[in-house]
Amino acid sequence: MSYTLQYGQVTPYLGYLAGGAWLALQLAAIAFVIGWAIGLVCASVLEYGPRPLRWLVKAYVIFFLNTPLLVQIFFLYFALPDWGIVLGSYQAVLLGMAINAGAYLTEIQRAGFRSIRKAEVEAAETLGFSRLQIIRYVVLPHIAKVLFPPLSNQYIILTMTTSIAAIFGVEELTGRTYNINAQTFRSFEIFSIAALYYIALTLVASAALYAVGRYFFRIKGRVF
Amino acid sequence: MPHLVIDRLSANYGTAPVLQDVSLSVERGEIVSIIGPSGSGKSTLLRVLTGLLKPHAGVVHVAGTQIDYGSAAALRKVRDRFAVVFQQYNLFQNMTALRNVTIAPTIVKKRDAGEVEREARALLEKVGLSHRIEAYPDELSGGQQQRVAIARALALKPEILLLDEVTSALDPELVAEVLDTIRVLAAEGMTMLIVSHEMGFVREISSKVVFMADGKVVEVGPPSQIFDAPQTERCADFVRRILRH
Ligand SMILES: Nc1ncnc2c1ncn2[C@@H]1O[C@H](COP(=O)(O)OP(=O)(O)O)[C@@H](O)[C@H]1O
Ligand SMILES: [Mg+2]
Repeated sequence: MSYTLQYGQVTPYLGYLAGGAWLALQLAAIAFVIGWAIGLVCASVLEYGPRPLRWLVKAYVIFFLNTPLLVQIFFLYFALPDWGIVLGSYQAVLLGMAINAGAYLTEIQRAGFRSIRKAEVEAAETLGFSRLQIIRYVVLPHIAKVLFPPLSNQYIILTMTTSIAAIFGVEELTGRTYNINAQTFRSFEIFSIAALYYIALTLVASAALYAVGRYFFRIKGRVF
Repeated sequence: MPHLVIDRLSANYGTAPVLQDVSLSVERGEIVSIIGPSGSGKSTLLRVLTGLLKPHAGVVHVAGTQIDYGSAAALRKVRDRFAVVFQQYNLFQNMTALRNVTIAPTIVKKRDAGEVEREARALLEKVGLSHRIEAYPDELSGGQQQRVAIARALALKPEILLLDEVTSALDPELVAEVLDTIRVLAAEGMTMLIVSHEMGFVREISSKVVFMADGKVVEVGPPSQIFDAPQTERCADFVRRILRH
């Protein structure tokens, strides 16, 4: 029952793992940006769109919020080829994550639209602001501030979610960790290092987001 | 010539009539107060004057010129003649006190930023807030926010100031500071139309009091008439009830 820690055996792989972390960061960032855009469009539709479109968006949100992401990606990867759409594993994972995040980001951004204070908009109107000026100086800054914390959270969650890609053979951080484990059997060492990489990814993002939030939006919340 | 003439103004929310044939005139530098039960249309009257709600019928003259509430471009002109301060201090939350005051002259009037800022500092000093210029609304008390809102309204150099229950949302100890600010403006000769439930203040500051009920002007007279010898049953009723506490 004695297991001697030998980090020395895994140090040659640190660079290889860093490449995996870089891929995870890419997946999270791209999925987030696409999901954010989907969410913005869908939230606008839910708030201002015509009824049939609203139902369609509602169905999308309900469906994707209430089924597991893993099943969604399996569907894209294994079921779509039956319809002639063949996605690579990286594409399927990225698309699945983006569409899934889009559903969450729809709900989040809708709350942002809801939080616009009518009184502030009216004040701007009585001061003679044009419609565009109201959006530019009153509505957008307000929405950005309200949405910043939940959007940041969603990004951090997405970073963790990228590990799902390993199941589909994408060699991101988890996938590469798994590979090294299979070669070296230094499980404790390699998985603890992978954990550190993930923590670094999320901590760096958290710190950066915190600085941005503090500087631009006067958000005083703590990172941890 | 009266500074402001409101002539048989009517307005609806949807199909419900909320203002009916309201007529009123205010001389230059005069302070007219509007009192009346909740829901009687006081706020609606101010909303119509500032162009937030289109009148259904009637006309408004400022300094002899009829105001056109019809088009967006014409509305812009209305907006620098009237300034309004509402009950809920609706300052722009994402801007400092100073920025709240400078933004309209800068982006609406496209005036020189340096000059606007000098004037804004003077206005904030006038409302007693020169030490809180860089504070954001959520860092200010209700009374301070309301005073910034008054400074913001004045920054466009309006001819007529409309105040809608500006002290109603304030804690009692903060009411006095806002009323003092209004007294300063009164002493400078600003024409004002004030909706207020502070009866002592209304009696002291107004030359004329308008009692409204159900969207109509029921009685108009000097404070001594409205408070001591009202001519209508409804006004007498209202005054009795409100003066009892
Ligand atoms: N946005 C609105 N939509 C529909 N009805 C409204 C709206 N605002 C006010 N009203 C109605 O108009 C009437 C006058 O309201 P208001 O002018 O706010 O009265 P006051 O300021 O004297 O309390 C009330 O019956 C009120 O219910
Ligand atoms: Mg009111």
